[in-house]
Amino acid sequence: MKAEKIYQRPVPNVKFSGLIAVIVVIVLMVAWEMYVRSQDVTPSYRNSNGLWAEQRRKINKGAGDGWVFTGSSRVLFNLQLDAWQALDNRRPLQLALEGTSPVSVLEGLAEDADFTGSVIVGVAPGLFFSGFEYRKGALKQHKNETPSQWLGQRISMWFEPYFAFYTYDYALSTILHRQDLPLREGVGHRLDVRKLANMGRDRNYRLWDKVYLDEEYNALAKQIWAQNWKPFAEQPEARQEGILKGRAKQLDRAIKAAKAIKDKGANVVFVQMPYEGHYAVSEPDIAPRDLTWDILINESGALGLHFLDHKQMQGYELPEWSHMTGEEADRFTQNFYHLVQSELARHKQVGEQP
Amino acid sequence: MLFNSLTFIVFFVVILGLHYLPIAWRIKKTNLLIASYLFYAAWSPPFVILLWISTFVDWHVANKIYLQKTQSKRRLLLFISIAVNLGMLGYFKYGEFLMQNFQILMSNFGIDYQAPDWNIILPVGISFYTFQTMAYSLDVYLKRAKPTDSFLDFSLFVTFFPQLVAGPIVRPTQLIPQFKIPRVASKSQLTWGLGLITLGLFNKIVVADGLLSQAAETAFEATKILHPMDAWLGTLAFSGQIFCDFAGYTTTAIGIALCLGFSLPDNFRFPYASIGFSDFWRRWHISLSSWLRDYLYIPLGGNRKGPLRIYANLMTTMLLGGLWHGAAWTFVVWGGLHGLYLAIERILVSRLRHQQIWSRWLPRLFLGILTYFLINITWVFFRAADFSTAIRMLDAMLTFDFSGEKVLPMIDVIIVTAVISLMLLIHCFMRNRQLHDIVKAIPGWFVGLIWGLALWFIIITQGESNAFIYFQF
Repeated sequence: MKAEKIYQRPVPNVKFSGLIAVIVVIVLMVAWEMYVRSQDVTPSYRNSNGLWAEQRRKINKGAGDGWVFTGSSRVLFNLQLDAWQALDNRRPLQLALEGTSPVSVLEGLAEDADFTGSVIVGVAPGLFFSGFEYRKGALKQHKNETPSQWLGQRISMWFEPYFAFYTYDYALSTILHRQDLPLREGVGHRLDVRKLANMGRDRNYRLWDKVYLDEEYNALAKQIWAQNWKPFAEQPEARQEGILKGRAKQLDRAIKAAKAIKDKGANVVFVQMPYEGHYAVSEPDIAPRDLTWDILINESGALGLHFLDHKQMQGYELPEWSHMTGEEADRFTQNFYHLVQSELARHKQVGEQP
Repeated sequence: MLFNSLTFIVFFVVILGLHYLPIAWRIKKTNLLIASYLFYAAWSPPFVILLWISTFVDWHVANKIYLQKTQSKRRLLLFISIAVNLGMLGYFKYGEFLMQNFQILMSNFGIDYQAPDWNIILPVGISFYTFQTMAYSLDVYLKRAKPTDSFLDFSLFVTFFPQLVAGPIVRPTQLIPQFKIPRVASKSQLTWGLGLITLGLFNKIVVADGLLSQAAETAFEATKILHPMDAWLGTLAFSGQIFCDFAGYTTTAIGIALCLGFSLPDNFRFPYASIGFSDFWRRWHISLSSWLRDYLYIPLGGNRKGPLRIYANLMTTMLLGGLWHGAAWTFVVWGGLHGLYLAIERILVSRLRHQQIWSRWLPRLFLGILTYFLINITWVFFRAADFSTAIRMLDAMLTFDFSGEKVLPMIDVIIVTAVISLMLLIHCFMRNRQLHDIVKAIPGWFVGLIWGLALWFIIITQGESNAFIYFQF
């Protein structure tokens, strides 16, 4: 190759500036970490797509015959892995995703030959029967994870347990977008869900102390759950039609997936976790029990545990209407474990009767 | 592998460590080659085969072209190179587009043809490396350069990881000679390289992803007719996002190469301070515009075959340039608009350039604003998922119907206004300046302070390792 004229990039001498930059960034990072910790934030694993994908892959690495939890945030908060393991002698997999219908996860388990165990499927009516998937990126990453993403997840987890600032709630863009500024006419301000929990290495999730100890923060959490809510009857007609169509579609998908799982000898347990306050009004409004839950349980033939039907699922403290504190979740998990075992045995007996 | 990922930081530290070991230059180059394949395989290992095909074909074809004296045989060899490279590009990038258009065409003739499902994943950066490797065969064919005698150097030229997937599209004569001589960056090159990496990542992670992407997304994904202010802010946000994303990538690439002792050419020179469209294309994606000029516009006849051919050549070049960006008619319209602008500018310049008024600052400012305005019109087609979105956006931007819907929250109004104003001021100030000259002229502690702040912002933005927009091209 004939070298015409080799370009040589001009280079200013910035060695001193580089040294200053290192000092500046260290000082600012220390200050930032201190500030975030002063807000009662403690380091925890990030609830990332990569971590979910890692846990999901365990089904294909020998854990497919055990218990799997899926659902949305209520299962994530309320079913504690340590408490379950203490009773079952085996650690379940936590695959619930907040703000996300578990129907796609259930379909994935139905198609996965390695899954032969038992699955608890949380049914948060508003989400489950809408098919909304806030965290669909997690499923996508499990399906198409690149080697780079896999390695990036491992590297990230070296840092996550040590730095409090390394949490989604304190990312710059998140902070900017939650500033209380005057509203523009006609533009609603939808508050993003704030930090509510700390996550463990295998996605065990516990409600953050601040959510129930700090009254202001607790009120904010409730305000966020109830924002922009409108009863079904007051929704525009087209939206109502969309909700009904979506409901039928999700019911059909969930029933098919549950049947497919049962056909391969695995157990499916649908569960409605306790809720109160705003949710006691909104959940039955958007998904009346007789038109959703009852159909799901009857047509799928799966075991269904609704908190209104079982005393063991009642009487827990729910600081922001549906998620339990860590201690309450431990107590709930223990009671729920026994309930599942007994109901599952009874359900099988009934199913085997001619 | 994305530059804005933790994986890349570890990868780069290892590569730098290996590059500074006291080992033979040939082994260092082999390390870089293996690293480049790993860099690409980190997305999808099977697609490395495409790199090997390009490398193998162009290496052999260029050597044979060089030795071949018969013009017809030289032409046939060049055809093989172009067919293989454009064939891969066509199959992966344009296959589905062609099938869909064929289906529409058939239905116009009353034939019910159903195109098969095209579940083909687009290999990252395929448009970039096919153009880069084609330039090698073309240079040899056009007798602009001799082929290199080192297969290792050529392989590294095709796959050199800093610029492999989103440019700059480097010419063989710019990079291959740099592989001949042992290179290790001086301390100054290393620190300046790290500075450029910081600047590039700041542009991408903080400005493009952290500050501007949300407003652009909200505006372009709204389904109703927007208020003019929201449509304009969404488009302006995208103008900033696409610049900071793409210029951010190439600045990072230049910095990475410099840390290894290699000099890559500039790909952007503050394009939003352009006065006119020929000026814009000398400042925006310079490596692509010069590639299209040298390997398409000039071979088509360039400026040499009369006015009509000039305009036809301009239009052809820009339409194909648009299609290079993506397999959709919206990209073709984007390219067509730029071709039209260049043609109109050419006519106006030939008639008005002798008038003194155009050298005064106020008319130049007006022309600069007009250029930016018209560029924003083209960005609507570039960003919109389809023509109905583009028309909806343009309708809101140009008709000033204030009954349209407001969708951007106050924070995005503030962010977009502040960031775009600052960006335009910086582009105007830097129009005739070079970054390294400015850095030399200001106190070192101040540069360090800004640098440290930029690093801090990068860290606290906690980017989600979003892919660079240009990877899809």
